[in-house]
Formats: sequence, C-alpha cells, structure tokens
Amino acid sequence: MNNRSTNNLRVDTPRDGRIVLDQVRKVYGGAAGAVEAISSITLTLEEGQSVSVVGPSGCGKSTLMRLIAGLDDTSSGAIHVGGRKVGGPVPNLSIVFQRDLLLDWRNVLDNVLLPAEIKRLDIKAARSRAADLLKQMGVAEFSSHYPWQLSGGMRQRVSIARSLLPQPSMIFMDEPFSALDAMTRDQMNVLLQEVQIATGVTTLLITHSILEAVFVSDRVLVMSGRPGRIIDDIAVDFPRPRKLSLRETPAFTAIVGRIREQFVKTGDLVG
Amino acid sequence: MNAAPASYSEESPVQKTQYGRSRVARAMHDWFPPLLSAVIGLGLWEGLVRYYAVPSYVLPPPSLIVVEFISQWNYLIVQLGWTVLAAGIGVVLGIVIGVATGAAVALSDTADRMLTPWLVVIHAVPKVVVAPLFLIWFGFGIQSEIFFVVTFTFFPVVVATITGLKSADPDVLQMVRSMGASRSQVLTKILFPSAMPVILSGIKLSISLAPVGAVIGEFVASNQGLGHLLIRAVGDMDTALAFAAVALFSVFGVLLWRVAEKIEQMLLPWHPSQRGGAKSH
Repeated sequence: MNNRSTNNLRVDTPRDGRIVLDQVRKVYGGAAGAVEAISSITLTLEEGQSVSVVGPSGCGKSTLMRLIAGLDDTSSGAIHVGGRKVGGPVPNLSIVFQRDLLLDWRNVLDNVLLPAEIKRLDIKAARSRAADLLKQMGVAEFSSHYPWQLSGGMRQRVSIARSLLPQPSMIFMDEPFSALDAMTRDQMNVLLQEVQIATGVTTLLITHSILEAVFVSDRVLVMSGRPGRIIDDIAVDFPRPRKLSLRETPAFTAIVGRIREQFVKTGDLVG
Repeated sequence: MNAAPASYSEESPVQKTQYGRSRVARAMHDWFPPLLSAVIGLGLWEGLVRYYAVPSYVLPPPSLIVVEFISQWNYLIVQLGWTVLAAGIGVVLGIVIGVATGAAVALSDTADRMLTPWLVVIHAVPKVVVAPLFLIWFGFGIQSEIFFVVTFTFFPVVVATITGLKSADPDVLQMVRSMGASRSQVLTKILFPSAMPVILSGIKLSISLAPVGAVIGEFVASNQGLGHLLIRAVGDMDTALAFAAVALFSVFGVLLWRVAEKIEQMLLPWHPSQRGGAKSH
C-alpha cells in the first residue's frame, strides 16, 4: 500500500466550487407528528476541502448529507453547489454509502463500470481507468470476482473505486467504514487520505467516530442531537500525509477531547 | 442443486484423497441404495401381478410395459413430439405474456389496479373445468392445447415477475438515482437483473407445469400427443401402452427440469443457490 502510484487519480474536469447552505431546515412527517431533523444550518464548505460531520446517532447528519446531495428536499432554506441551487441529484458528485451496495450479479470490474454506463461515458476509457482504480485500491487481482467472494473491507474498496470512476469533484461518504472491523477501518482511513491527496476531491465524511473524523479531515463539524445543529466547527491542520501514529500525539488528543467535551455538554455523552 | 461441486468443497483433505482412491466405491455408495430399491419395488410388482394372475388390462407387469415401450417406440416418440411442441409453444407464450404483465403491474400503479383483480379472479377458476370451453373457442387441434398450456404457464411467471421487480434493494435504487440514472436504466441495469432469480424460479415452475397442461389439453381437444394416446390406450384396454406413455412422460418431465436447472445455473452464476463449492475470500 506504500509505494502505490496515485498520479492518474487526478481529476481533470473543472471544479464545481463551494457548497453553501443558507438557514437549511428539514422537518419530517405531518403537522401532528412532525419531527425536526435539522434546525437552521448555515454553512460554507470550500472546494477541495475534506470535511467531517460527527454527531450522536439520529442527529440528522445523514439527512444533512442527503440534502446537499439533492436526494432529499429541504423544508426551508437553500443549498447552492458551485453557484447552482440544488433541486435533484447533484452532478459531479459521488456518494459512498455505509453498505457497499455492490451489485451481486456483476463482477468487480463491471460494478466499478456502473457509473460509466449510467452516465454514458466512453466505455473503453472507463475500462482502463477502472483497472487503474482497482489497482490503487489494492483489489486489482479480484476484478473478475463476484462481490460475494470478497471480504467487507475489499467490497468497500471496490465501492470507493466505483465512486471515483466518473472523476467526481465531490465525494460524500455516509458512515462508509462503520461496518468494518477496527483494523480494516484504520487501513481504509489511510487509503481515503491517499485518495484525497491524489485527487484533491472535496470530501464530506459523515461518521460517528471522532478519531476517524479528526484523522481524515481538514475541518470537523460537530452536530448536536435532534434537532441537528452545528455546535462546533474545528479546523484540523496537521500536515499530510498523516500517519496513524498521529492519533497518539497530544495535539490530536486535544482536538478529540474538545469534540468529546461538546457531546458531554449537550448530554449526548456521559463524561 | 449443483450437488457435485458442493459436496466436493465440504470434504476435508482426508476425504478428498479417499475420493481420488476409490471412485468406484463412491459411485457404488451413491447409486446402490436407489438401484436396490428400484429392483425390489419392480420385482414385487412383477411377482405379485404374476402370482395373483392379475389381468394385464388391470395392471400390466413391468416386463410387459418394457416390451410395449420397445415395440411401440416410434409411435410413442411421435406422440411425445406433439406434446412437446404444444408445451414448448405454450411455455414461451406464457413466459412472454407473464413477464410483460408482471412488469406492467409491478411498475405502474394504474396497471396494478386495473389488472390485479382480473388476475386474481381468473387464477381462481379451476383450469381443468374450462378446458372444454377452449374446444368451443379455439376449435379442435393444437391451438386449443397451446392456449390451455398458457393458462398453466402464465400465472407462476406473473407472480414471480411482480415479486422480483418489487423486491429490489431500495438503497441500491437510491444510489443509481444519485448517479442520475434514467427510468429505463433503472429497469435494465437494476430491477430486471435483481429480479432474475425470482423470475427464473417462476419460469422453472411454469416449465414443469407446461407438459401437464398440454396432456390435459390433448385429453379434450386433440387427436395427437401423449394425452390423446393415453385416452385411446385406455379406451382400447391397452393398459400396458398407457403405462408406457406415463413412464415416457415422467422421464421427459425429469429431463425438462434438469434442463431448466442448467439454464438457471448458466444465467445466475452469482446467486447463492448456484455458488456451489467456490470459496469466499
């Protein structure tokens, strides 16, 4: 995993620019049983940034991601991506979900090619890019295997390769590693960082792991329990590439402690 | 299903070497019990019929059935051919109409509300009862038979298609939507492939029902085919010929099922039911 060349991951397409949320609110259900999932979030995410959102489960962090991705409508407020108002699936954006969602009936290579087929990209170019991506994700030798023949970590690597295939300018990840064991998760964090360095893709990572959020990101947004609000916004400027051992340094633990403190204050965590 | 590779993978290395050493012993172990049971069963039948001197028009001994089978081979095969023809055309029609109807019901609310009541009512009608009506509507001959086969083969395919198309993973659907997939792309790339195992199980069931439908059709509306042969043989008190026809029909049914399974295996190498012995990483 160390000597892997990451040059051809670089995105050549123009950037979509910043993501701007203005007083975004989301309410689920009817008048009687209405549940406020997100309460007035105003926020700007710079392009090329790696941002994590941490919060207790059910705080609306996945909802926030779905709203920005255009998979769900806001109840009030507006979201702009690259100057355009969001009202439907956002182009140039790939999403990695908690479940890898590989198609059982396609082998690994054909799974990675799915976005190319849907977006009607040049299949020949997509094939060679898919092969490169699988190599960079360390699963090249499994390209003709079916998903059921792979472990959870390998499946999620394939799923990340699939998300990178159409050369997105943004990647949103909804708790992508929470179903993996601790060691595989650490490996995936390092891999994700490699991808970020190589592509400069704007990353929004939804996670409930404070460690993961701080390790992977340039900026961590802390969300409170329902209704979801941003209660802290922390810049993380450790130089990259970061090593896993960074997590034991005092500076790192200080940030983790600060975030944990927020959850203790809101009562989401008993400290 | 796929028994050989499955049992192969479950073997420990020790058993594998045994497998290599004594293939014959293993075949004996697999085949001896059913063979023995067949010999005992047929022997008892033959013996009892001969001992009690049962007239052969009531119950012919197996040996007479075999003789009849060989002497009437050409006639039997030609009649089987007619049955296969009617069943084959009927099954193809049933699958095509079934998949189309099922897709309409699964994908359109309007079609669902308009067609489902009809399907439920028509399915509730005992099909054998309406067989004589087919004679009136479509006349005497293979066309009546084919329509009758369709009434048997259509429903399993409709039900399977509806179930299969409606059980696609909602998270996968959301994912392809986020990629910007069109409705027809969702249909061809996600809905149909993921419904394939269920649709094929419906098709398998309808393939196994098709010859039954054809034979019942031939009872009523045909002067060809195994069904007609059976009626004629019984009319002539030629019970041995009737038994020979039934035996041929059963063998054909088993072969048909095997073919259907092979096709399923080829189409669904990824499905849990077809994975056989291959190991996961």
